[in-house]
This record gives sequence, C-alpha cells and structure tokens, in this order.
Amino acid sequence: MTKVETFSYDNKIVRDFGIATTLWGVVGMLVGLWAALELIWPELNFATSWLTFGRIRPLHTNAVIFAFVGNGIFMGVYYSLQRLLKARMYSDVLSKIHFWGWQAIIVAAAITLPLGFTSSHEYAELEWPIDIAIALVWIVFGLNMFGTILKRRENHLYVAIWFYIATWVTVTVLHIFNNLEIPVSMWKSIPVFAGVQDALIQWWYGHNAVAFFLTTPYLGLMYYFLPKAANRPVYSYKLSIIHFWALIFIYIWAGPHHLLYTSLPDWAQTLGTVFSLMLIAPSWGGMLNGLLTLRGAWDRVREDPILKFMVVAITAYGMATLEGPLLSIKSINAISHYTDWTVGHVHVGTLGWNGMLTFGILYWLWPRLYGTKLFSVKLANTHFWLGTLGTVFYTVPLYWAGWTQSLMWKRFTDDGLLAYGNFLETVTQIIPMYSLRALGGTIYIIGVFVMVYNLWKTARQGTLVANSEASAPAREKHVPHKGEHWHRWIERRPIQMLIGATVMVLIGGLVEIFPMLLIDKNVPRIASVLPYTPLELEGRDIYIREGCVNCHSQMIRPFRSETERYGEYSKSGEFIYDRPFLWGSKRTGPDLHRVGDKYPHSWHYNHMLDPETMSPGSIMPPYPWLLDDDIDTTYTAAKIRVLQTLNTPYAKGFDEMAVTKLKVQAESIAKEMKSQGVQQEELAQKEIVALIAYLQRLGTDIKPDPITGSK
Amino acid sequence: MAKYILEAAGNINWMALFALLTFLFIFLLSAYLIFKKDTEILKHIEELPLSDGEHLHIN
Repeated sequence: MTKVETFSYDNKIVRDFGIATTLWGVVGMLVGLWAALELIWPELNFATSWLTFGRIRPLHTNAVIFAFVGNGIFMGVYYSLQRLLKARMYSDVLSKIHFWGWQAIIVAAAITLPLGFTSSHEYAELEWPIDIAIALVWIVFGLNMFGTILKRRENHLYVAIWFYIATWVTVTVLHIFNNLEIPVSMWKSIPVFAGVQDALIQWWYGHNAVAFFLTTPYLGLMYYFLPKAANRPVYSYKLSIIHFWALIFIYIWAGPHHLLYTSLPDWAQTLGTVFSLMLIAPSWGGMLNGLLTLRGAWDRVREDPILKFMVVAITAYGMATLEGPLLSIKSINAISHYTDWTVGHVHVGTLGWNGMLTFGILYWLWPRLYGTKLFSVKLANTHFWLGTLGTVFYTVPLYWAGWTQSLMWKRFTDDGLLAYGNFLETVTQIIPMYSLRALGGTIYIIGVFVMVYNLWKTARQGTLVANSEASAPAREKHVPHKGEHWHRWIERRPIQMLIGATVMVLIGGLVEIFPMLLIDKNVPRIASVLPYTPLELEGRDIYIREGCVNCHSQMIRPFRSETERYGEYSKSGEFIYDRPFLWGSKRTGPDLHRVGDKYPHSWHYNHMLDPETMSPGSIMPPYPWLLDDDIDTTYTAAKIRVLQTLNTPYAKGFDEMAVTKLKVQAESIAKEMKSQGVQQEELAQKEIVALIAYLQRLGTDIKPDPITGSK
Repeated sequence: MAKYILEAAGNINWMALFALLTFLFIFLLSAYLIFKKDTEILKHIEELPLSDGEHLHIN
C-alpha cells in the first residue's frame, strides 16, 4: 500500500501576491481614471511633464496588466499549483525572490515611465535594464513552477497547469523577441527591427500579451477556481483539452489583425483575419464549458457573490472573444481602428474578464487563507453590482464615442468634401462620452475600495494560516503498458508538455514573421527615403519620451477619407529607418505621418506652448518645458553608431560630426522661426527646435516638390 | 469563403493553406483521440481541484 505523506502548502506567498494584486489594482486603476479625466480636463497634469497623458497612459496599461493581473496570476498559480500537484512549492526562497523581484520591477516601471524612459512598444515600454530584470524574475518563476511539477505527488497534470505552462513558455518567447534592442545608455535603447518588421513583431507580441498574459493563465485559474467555488467538476474535461490545444495554436497567428489596412503585406493581414475568426470556436468552447459547469447550481449563483463575479467574468470573456474576431474583419476594422471602440472592447476584457475573475478569486481565497468567514457577503454583493455597473458605464459610452468619431471622420458632403475637415470637431463631439466613461471608471474603483475594506476586515477577524497542513499518498511509479493512450502519456510528462506547447505556439510565429524578416520584397525600398538627420533623430526621441504615439498615429490607411484629410497613404518603404516604428493604435489627435511642411515652424512652437491658441477646444496639454530645456546631445554620436551597426547608411565617421551637424540645422530652423515672429533667447539649443525638425520631416520623403513636382 | 481567403493571400497561398490544414489536422486528431480516452482517468483528473488533501478549518 502507498504511504500517505504529510506536508504543508505555502499560503503566505499566496497572501503576499494577493495583497500586491489588490494594492497595484487600486494604483493602476486610479492612474487609469486620472488619464481618463485628463482627456476631459487636460490641465490635470498640473503643468508637469511626468503627469501628462502620454506618459501616464503607459503607466496605467503596464500597472493593470503586469502589476494587477500579473500578481493575480501568481496568486492563483501559487495556490492552485500546490494543491493540484499535492506538493509545496519547490523552493520558498525562489518564491520570495519571485515576489520581491516582481514588485521591484513594478516600482521601477512606476518611476521610469513618468520620467519618459520608454521604448514606445505598446505594453512593452519598459527600457532594457528592466527588460532584463523581467526575464530573470520570469525564469525564477519558471524554475519554481517546473521544480514543483517535478516533485509532485499527483501523476496527472490537470488542464489548468497546461495553461500555466503555455503561458510561461509563450511569454518567454514574446518578451525576448519584442525586446531585442541595443542599449545606447542606461535608459535608452534602439530596437533591432525597423518599420514594418518592428510593427509586425510588436503586434505579434502585443496581441499575444493579451492572449498569453490576460487570457491563458486566467483560463487556467477559471478551470481551477470555478469548480472549487461551485464545488463540482468542470462540465466537460474533454472539451477543456480541445479548448487548450486549439486556443494556443490559433492565438499566436492573430497578431496582424492590429495592422489591417496598414503597410503590412496583404498576406500577413489575411492570416491575422482568418485565425482571429477561427478563435471564436475554442474561445466560446471554453466559455460554455465554464458556464455549463454551473448547470444545476444556478440557484446558488443568486446567493453567492463569488459565483456572480465568476459568471460575469466568463460572460465578459465570451463577449470580448466574439467581438475581437469581428473587429478583425477588414470592413469592421476600417471603422473601429484608431477609435475608442477598441478601448471599449479592451475594457470588456480587462474590467469584465480579468477584473471580475480576480475579485471572485480574492473573495474565495481570503477566508481560506485566514481560516475564517468572509467579513461581509452583503458588501461583496455591493461590490459585484458596482463592478458590473462600472463596466457597463465605462464601455457603452466608449462604443458610442468610437462609432460617432469614426463616422464623422468618413463623412463627405454632397460636394465631395470632408464634412468634418477639422479633426478637432470629431474630438469635441465625444467629450460627453469621455465624461461618462470617467464616471464608469469611478464606480468601478469605488467597488474595488469596498472590496479592500471587506478583505482587510476579513483578515483582521482571522489569523493567517501561513502553512496549511495536508496529506496525500506518495507518487506511484507508473508502469507504462501497451496501447497506453497518448494523452495519458503526455499528461505525466511536463517537459514533453512544455516542448509540445512551444512547438504549437511557435508554428504561427515562425510562418508569419520569418518571411517578413527574410524576404526583401515584403518591404520595398524607396530611393528618396533617407535616414534622419541628428537633429531629427533627437526630436524623434523627444516625441517618444513624451508619449505622443499614445494619441497620434503615423499610418495613413488607403481610404479616401484618410488621403483627403492627411495626404498620400503610407508606404512600408517610408519606415525602413524608423526604430522603433511609431504607427500608434489610437487617434485622440490627428495622424501625423504627413504633417511635415504642413504648417510653419512658428505654428508648432505656439501649439506646443499652448495648443488652445492654435486649436481652440483642443484637449492636448501644453508642453512648455520643451521651450525651456536644452537638447541633450550626450548620446547623439552613440545613437548614430548603433544605427550604423543596424545598417542605417550613415557615412563612415558621421558619428563624430553628428553634433556639429545637429547644431547647424538647429541654428537654421531657429533663424527661420525668428523670421516667423518667434522671440526667444538661445532658441537653437532648445528641445522644441529638435521636435519641430522631426515633425517637419515627417512624410516629406515622398512628397512631390510643390514647384518642380519631383522627389 | 475559402476561395476568397486563398485569393486574398496573394502569391503566398501556401501559407494560408499550411496554416488552415495544420490547424484542421491538429483539431481533428486531438478531438478523435480525446473522445477515445479512458473515462476513469478523465474522472480522476477532473476531480483533482476538489481533492487537494488539505486539512482546512474555518472558524
């Protein structure tokens, strides 16, 4: 007979990650609310650079994805993994390194992003030292997880663990590829890939950050915590297996749907669309599996707030995973892209799916971690309704805003002119929707504060069960027999499972990305497109630092409504020196790809000093520090050298004369600005001149000369 | 639908074909094998979240 062993589960690490989830959730959502309020009252940055929308928007997204959801993942994984494997975590030391390492990364992000240290890749903005720290801490997490799997007492790996394994391996691959960059200084790096290739890899990452950070680990948590909360096994384990393999295989292909109608080759866009539509099947299979787990227990859903949270979470997952594929259809994407429709869609997923499932898990876990009952079921029910109403009030106005703005962008008069030629008209029209969105966010956050109070009181009335006693039979050595089922074989072999999952997720990545990197014809070169001058390069880095890409795209799609408004549509060959690419994903302001030569220098000067003087009613904040701060040329030569390494055709020795050339161009622009009426001492040394040099260059490489018509 | 998808893939038809056929193969294979699976083992695995061997006392 097998010997029964007694051991303990580490609850303290689960509690610590739970506290971090709650704390960073509050912080991340408050920053999000602040950003939402700045879109109504831009003066809420209090004239400081580090509180502007362009800098705190990435702080919000990073905080809620990697701090709130990230800690939520670790909380759930550390609780469920131990129990599913009937083993304590492999190493308490690794658990602590993982916990404190992750929190240190979050603090580093919270400091560096408002300071403007950003790589500008969406959801991967953190600079290279933090990227390395993330990789190291992620490896510690992996070692701890796989160590636990190896010392397990249970032979079979439950499907939740497969989702955790797929998450770990895919996030590793995505993080490495999307952060291939060469450091220029401690807080500045230049990505290896440029233009359309950088865009494809970024959105392969960006989409799969949603897939393998916000979705697959949470599906693992759903498959564990929903049966626990409902006290019944999952509806169909067979369906969960199909859900897993189909989802991880298909998800990785869908990234290009973020780049429809851009300069990305058509075949890559088509693959993105096809696989996005195919995603509906496994996603809805998973959703139905979750909801059907509650069959015969719906009477309990009426009473139990935990199940209510989980039902709304799974429903939101179903809604978001139906809407996502629909938004990937080109004709729908033509309307939705660059608008608040996408922001609304994302928040159905984050507020509804990630948020509500996290809250349900926290309410389920906290009493068990403290050996007591939940302080108040009534308050949990109140939170549930605040969370649900908050999500509705957040998303519905944004859908409305997205449809309104997009239809205004595309409307022509009977004379064939744009009905709303001034972009600002389409912004001021949707400000009331932004106010309602902020109200929705406020309601949602009030609910979170109610939860914090409830959990705090629950902890106060109990005592932390730091090490929970358990017993289980020692693991039996399995003797394989002839005709054994293949899945039974792989379920017992985590390393083979790891390899299988890696192969699955890599197939899509390799087929899509390798041709882009290897086949030159995918990125046709344009003879008139030249590298940036040193001054333009510094101006571009100021544009990146201020987070302009968060509100302004640089990608004119081939629609009449866009070419009429902005000019010639964007070509992939125009971006071959763009490291990083700055196409953007949202137009709170107009596209800037052809803004070069559109206005005089003095217009930009006055616009940056106070946007309202040039565009009354604008919600863009002023950038007065650009007029005060000197251009930093410390690393100009180093940037040129890195770009030369990456085959940007600067002449040999150009790095040594870069600063001199920068000053000559700056003096020339400053002189022109003076002739246009700008009166400022030592203007040529100021950052505003570099930014103007960059803006005036944008899109001009293929613009015909107005006099000769040549380029 | 399939014709449109393949036409839209331009001159890289093999990629769309490869992707769709690979998925179809994996989906059908996993579905076939899973429905042949031993129900006793399945029953054991699906009960794993409910049997963690923990001695929990809630006051």
